[in-house]
Amino acid sequence: MSPSPDLPNSERATGGETEDLAPVAFEARILALLPQLRRYSRSLTRSDTESEDLLQDCVEKALVSRSQWRGTNFKAWAYRIMTNLHLNAHRFRIRHPSATIDGSEIDDLAMTSADPLESRRLMQSLANLPAEFRVVLTLVVVEGYAYQEVAEMLDIPIGTVMSRLSRARHALREKMREANIIPLRRPL
Amino acid sequence: MTERRSISEEQLHAYVDDLLDEADRRRVEEFLGENPEAAEMIADWQSQNDGLRSAFAGYRKSSAADLQLVTMSGNRTRSLRASRLSLVAASIAIFALGALGGHYTPALFEKSELAQAYADALPQEAHNAFLVYASEVRHPVEVFADQEAHLATWLGKRLSIPDLKVPNLQSLGFRLVGGRLLPVVGTAGAMFMYEDAGGQRLTVIVGRNPQNQSTSFRFASAGDIETFYWIDGDLGYAVTGEISRTTLQKVAEECYRQFPS
Repeated sequence: MSPSPDLPNSERATGGETEDLAPVAFEARILALLPQLRRYSRSLTRSDTESEDLLQDCVEKALVSRSQWRGTNFKAWAYRIMTNLHLNAHRFRIRHPSATIDGSEIDDLAMTSADPLESRRLMQSLANLPAEFRVVLTLVVVEGYAYQEVAEMLDIPIGTVMSRLSRARHALREKMREANIIPLRRPL
Repeated sequence: MTERRSISEEQLHAYVDDLLDEADRRRVEEFLGENPEAAEMIADWQSQNDGLRSAFAGYRKSSAADLQLVTMSGNRTRSLRASRLSLVAASIAIFALGALGGHYTPALFEKSELAQAYADALPQEAHNAFLVYASEVRHPVEVFADQEAHLATWLGKRLSIPDLKVPNLQSLGFRLVGGRLLPVVGTAGAMFMYEDAGGQRLTVIVGRNPQNQSTSFRFASAGDIETFYWIDGDLGYAVTGEISRTTLQKVAEECYRQFPS
């Protein structure tokens, strides 16, 4: 299992494991990783603005902490920084019902799915998941990490990864089934 | 769901995330073949995956401000030379990524907003039209069923649907009363009215959807009146009646089958 479905060219651009540690290369590494970090950031947050803020914080933190990078797996290192920044802001804050996202805050999400209503409902359900569940779901589904890799990145047991993934999926499913949808089929 | 062939939930997740080897995948598929409830759950999880991936795919892109973001923030102690070199490296990276990023063009959000507005308005207007016209005794429609061919040509012309067919609901016990032109979400739309042997009426509405995005079937209730509606490309449809949801769904499915795809 490859760590991610990402295009091989961009892996090369981030220069994963090589030891060309000249300080000049560091910014270029981040820059090359920015599109992926941007997607990850957006999948954790609820709006484009929130997402760009998190991305910016992450870049700053990475630049300041550059000496802590041990020269391997730059991508996982940067993802960990972003994840922690996000979780520190939202740790185990299960949203109060009155703070439930009604959709107006997710307006700026680029909907590419064929069914805009479905897509919107999914984003609303996602927005109401606790941050811990959402992080795991996103890393697995959108970023394509294996369970063990997620466990290492978040520094939690793999059993916890599985239970969060499971709870995220069951919660989303319950939300999605609540509403008035009947699959449309043209019989022939 | 786990007992019969000792498939764990963990394996079901791994199946959905495509992390199983061939043998395990086949075992899970066999299990799902015998457990429709589990299969349904897996199908839901898979569509979650598809939905999440497609929602965020468009964000994997560079931005014009990226270079600034990386070079201006944080560390300000770098030498001028180092900073210049990093700019060169960065430009090269941006160029490479620009080429990659071209695949993903996120849909404009205005588009989904408008589609949402349309989908909200459609059942509401169908409901109102039903209230207004179904209670009409003498003039429920403009053109009666005895001129069905004319009705189809006329409304087809107004809606720019050359092959507009008036759905035939005889098999469900509803005969055509007739039809009329009416505004549907701001543009010319068509309404067809049907009646069963007991005089129970229902209406079918077709309108142009400028957003050209499809949705699945869904229903809206207001009081005793039910509406089934769906959007199929550039046309929106709604079926409304004061009848059971089951019957109405059959009508909706029949209309869906008969309208041009």
